[in-house]
This record gives sequence, C-alpha cells and structure tokens, in this order.
Amino acid sequence: MDRPENTLQKFETGIAGLDRATRGGLPKGQATLVLGQPAAGKTILCLQILARAVERGERGVFVTFEESPEQVRRDAASFTWGADLLESERWQLIDAGPHPGAEAAGEFDIGGLLSAVTAAAGSNAGWVIFDGIDQLLQLQPTPRAAIEQIRRINDHCETHGQAVLITGKARSDSPAPAWLEGIEFLLSSSLLLSARVVQQKLNRSLRVTKYRGSDHVADEMPMLIDGEGIQLPYHEALPIGQPAAGSERLNTGIPRLDSLLGGGIHRGSSLLISGRPGTAKSTLAGTFAETRAREGERVLYISFDELETAYVRNLASVGIDLASPVASGTVRFQDFSAYASSVTEHFLALRRLIDGFAPDCLIIDPVSALLKASATEGAHLATEQLSDLARRRGITTVLTALSGVEGPEGEATLGYVSTLADTWIVVGYNERGGERNRSLSIVKSRGSAHSNQQRELILSDSGLDLADVYASGSEVLMGTARAMKERENQERERQRQLERERRRLDLEQRILQAEAERQRLEAERDHLDRTSGETDRLEHDYHEEIRRRRDPDHDPEPFKEGQHADGGKQH
Amino acid sequence: MNENQDHGEASIPVLTLFVTGSAPRSQRARANLARMLEQIGRSDLQPQEVDLLEHPQQGITQSVFATPSLLKTDANGEVSVLYGDLSEEEQLRRFLAELQTNT
Repeated sequence: MDRPENTLQKFETGIAGLDRATRGGLPKGQATLVLGQPAAGKTILCLQILARAVERGERGVFVTFEESPEQVRRDAASFTWGADLLESERWQLIDAGPHPGAEAAGEFDIGGLLSAVTAAAGSNAGWVIFDGIDQLLQLQPTPRAAIEQIRRINDHCETHGQAVLITGKARSDSPAPAWLEGIEFLLSSSLLLSARVVQQKLNRSLRVTKYRGSDHVADEMPMLIDGEGIQLPYHEALPIGQPAAGSERLNTGIPRLDSLLGGGIHRGSSLLISGRPGTAKSTLAGTFAETRAREGERVLYISFDELETAYVRNLASVGIDLASPVASGTVRFQDFSAYASSVTEHFLALRRLIDGFAPDCLIIDPVSALLKASATEGAHLATEQLSDLARRRGITTVLTALSGVEGPEGEATLGYVSTLADTWIVVGYNERGGERNRSLSIVKSRGSAHSNQQRELILSDSGLDLADVYASGSEVLMGTARAMKERENQERERQRQLERERRRLDLEQRILQAEAERQRLEAERDHLDRTSGETDRLEHDYHEEIRRRRDPDHDPEPFKEGQHADGGKQH
Repeated sequence: MNENQDHGEASIPVLTLFVTGSAPRSQRARANLARMLEQIGRSDLQPQEVDLLEHPQQGITQSVFATPSLLKTDANGEVSVLYGDLSEEEQLRRFLAELQTNT
C-alpha cells in the first residue's frame, strides 16, 4: 500500500527557476527558512509565491511582523502579479507587528497567533508566511524560548499540511538570524537570498542552503528582481531534447573563408570571432548577418555599446547592407548598454528576445561586453547558458569577443568562451615594415577539415575578402610586404623568361651562324669539286703541249735526247 | 464604556490579559498578575481575559498574537503591551506603576 504521508510532498512556488532547482517546489507540512540581508528580496519572494498560489486557486495567509500591511500591499502592487493578488479574497494579511515599545516580562508563545492564522486560513491554506517573525521573537528572554516558537510553527504546519515560509535576517558570520541560533538545524529546508554590490552593481542571488530529503541545486543561483518579480533566469527549464546535429553548412558571405572552413559553418553551431579593436570583427559578423538574411533567415543582432544607427552606417561603408533586412523585419537589431544592467539582467533580456523573435541566427557583438562589464559576476554562466540555449534551439550563433591589447592574456580570458564555441576565428593585425595588416586564422573548427594558415583579411568598400599570404621563412607576409613579395616573384619570373628568350635567341643566332658557315663550306667544297676537273684538264693539256713540243713531227730521233745534249756541249 | 471601572476615576486604565486556554504560561501569567495586583493594593481590579483559542479574531483586531500578553488601555485609548508570563516582577511592577494606590 502506498503511504503518501511518508513521502515528501511539495508545493510549487510558481517561480520557474526555483521549482526547477528544488525539483518541484518547497515541502508541504514543513517550514522553510528564508534568510537574507535587508533588501535581499525576502518579502518579495514570499509575496510572489503567495500570488502564484492564489492564482492557482489555493489559499494563503501572510503574517507581517515588520512592515505595515500598507507597506506589504505597496510591495505587491509594484509587480505584474500584484494587482491580482491584492484583489483576491483567497488570502489574508495579518499585521502581527509587536506593539511599539512592547516589552516582555517572561516567556511567551505564539499559540494565539497560530490560532488566528488557522481562523484566517480556514483548514485548507496552502501557504502561510511569517515575514519578519524575529521582530517578535527577539522579545523572548532567551533564544531557547524563541526557537521553541519556531518549532511550534513547524509542528503547526505539519498538522495542517501547510507549507510555511519564515523569513529571517541573515548575518555575515552565521547561518541563522540573531536570537534564532540553531533554527537552521530545526527546519528541514532553507533558502538564502543575497545581494552583493560588485563594482557598483547589485548582484542578487538565491541559494538553496538546505533541503532535507530532496535533491536540489545547491549552487548559488543568480537572481533578478524586475517588474515580473523574482526570477532565476539560468535555472528555468530549457527546451527538452536537442535538434539533430545536421551537416548543413551555412556560408559566411566570404567564399574564401567558407572554403577554408570546409564549406561554411554548421547550422546550429557557434562561431567565435575574437580580436583586438578594429580588426573587422563586426564586419565579419555583419557580413554573416547580411548573407543569412538574404537567404531569408531570421537574424537577431545584438550590439553592446554601439547604437544601431552608427552600427548599420559603419557596415554600410564597407558595402554591407543591414538597413534593408532590418526594415523588412528579417533582422532584429537590438543595442544594449553593457553597463546599464547587470549580467543577469542582460541574460534575461536576451533570453526574452530569443523567445520572442525566434531567430535562426544570433549575433552578439561583442559577447565580451558581458565579461568585461562592471559587476561581471555570473558572466561565464550567462555566456554558457546563452550558448546552451542557442544550441538546443538550433540557432546558429556568432559571438565576437574583444581580446585585450596585451595579446595572449587577452585571448586567455576568452579561453572558456572559446571552449564553448565550435569554431574559433582569430582576427588580428600583423605589423611589419611600419604597416598594419588585418589577418585571419582559424584556431579551431569542430567537425571540419580546415586550414590553419593565417590569411590576410582585406577590407574594402565592397566588403571582405581573404588573400593568400606568402610564407617566407617563418613569417607570413601581408600588405605591402606581400605586394612586394608578389612583385619580386613576378620580376623573377620575368627575368627567367627573358633569360630563356635570350638564350633561345642566342642559340638561334648560333644556328644561323652555323648554317651560314655550312653554306660557305659547301660552296667551298663545290667550288673545289668544280675547279679540280678543269685543273686536271689544264694540266693534261699542259703536259700534252710539253710532249708535243719535245716530239716535233719532223724530228727523226725524238728520243735521242742525250745526243742532243752532247751536241749542245759542243757549242 | 468602562462599566467595570466602578471606582469612578476615569483615568484608571483597563487591563486585558490574552491567553491561550489553560496553557501553563497562561496560567502562570494569570497567577503572577493577580499576585502583583494584590501587592500594589489593587486586587479590586479584575483584568479582562481574552482566550485567543476561542476568539482568534480578537487577536487580529487587537493585533495581539503573543500569548500570554497583558494589554493596558488608558483612558485616551493608548495601548501598552507586556508580553510573557509576567514572571519578571520588576518589569510587571513598572508596567502597573500608575495603578498603584498610595501606600
């Protein structure tokens, strides 16, 4: 048989974040201690829980010991749920403030109060709130007597199955209010509200310091109080389930960047662009927004610290048209002043915008405004939650982040953002030869083959483009150096061609020369051939002549030459 | 009003003791108050008694929730309150000082 009385039953508080952090609300039949310094939001928390219960048709009693009933009504009236609460007859407000100047002569109890509460509530009050009961109990002669009254309240609500909230003033050095030491052991659940001023900004938080018998979020949860009352923006439920991680690639508007990224960034992923001031982060983000909007996607564009008009105009000067999609409603542009609100307020505002506009793409320029703004407590949480929220909704996110002029450390402070981002692009300056050139490199890109080489980012009035860089030794060359290198290379090439041409000419020249020589030699040979026949003939003729002369027709003894010679000797 | 103030002195305040049934503290307060009234010579005064268990609405009207507690309403409607079982004699004596008859 089920024995429901043995299992912890809970009442919803109606505060989404708190119900989620407590896995369903605060205990029924038990008292919960709500501790906090003055102005930490104790009364508001109680009123809001009551208002939500009354909205659901439950009954309640609010016993105020410190503020006057008028003050309590004014507190409630300043919230969106206040009017309905004040009109409802399902709850009662009891003024139990001690009489001015009241003293105590001995111990007393609050039996009278409990009987009044029971009378006011009827038997089915869901919530009973004792706000500021320490005002009364501190009149007890001993803390023991004071604590005993808390025990009575606890027993009373157990008997009546009510959920009770008891507020008390927190002290810095103790988990219990003054005069109520030990109360934290007595009650099975307690909440601690705190309001700290960090860099001139109020940072509120709520912590479930104790919840016996129930799983709960034990961390300090950033809390906000605005017109809708108390909220724990980071702890409200996120949409269940995750959109399938698709393989669809979104082009960034810069074709060469897309090709470096292996075709663009994945839908639903996040891209972090970090760099120092003036490195064209906004231009990159703007290019992406313009491109996405042109494809009919809804883009939520958040600018921190730069106003819409100036921002859109600046983008227009580099050929990016955001004005048209903003006018047509495809792009929702929202500028925020980073310092005007706390991180948590910014987060809530962003969350509401995301809920309201349901964008396909989200751009936050720069997200580091959250990190570096005053009162940055919770900035990491805000960024993490934003990324998570965007991812769960399949929103493609582009975050820019300003890194410090100090360089590496600046990037280090972004370390955790960069771990969240799926793709991280670092833009920077390369200084060389008295010149600054924009550079871009992809530090990481999950799920993509990508090039790690630094590229030169070229900004012109027609937008952005990337240029290949020259690796020269251990350096990459950009700007004038790149141009020089380019010219140098062209010159070298030209020289090479000239040289080839020259050599060719030379060879042809030599071929021609050789040709001429050959002709000359052939001519000489022909000449030789031609002339040698004649010479032979002439020679032959000559010899014939000689012979003819020596052998005249009438010489009887043509061969007696010796005789002839003797005859001459005789002369 | 003040019909039970049969001394004819309009300046004599009215005493009301708020109790919760027969709780020990309520009983102690009742006894302590009677003893003190006797000590100061005003045993003739009969304090009113309101049992908040029976008449919780009275507590809300009078804004008295701690029990026991002693209310003193003077002729021009001013109310003073003393909480507790009235076991601290000196405090109770001071609270009732103006009722004291000359000894």
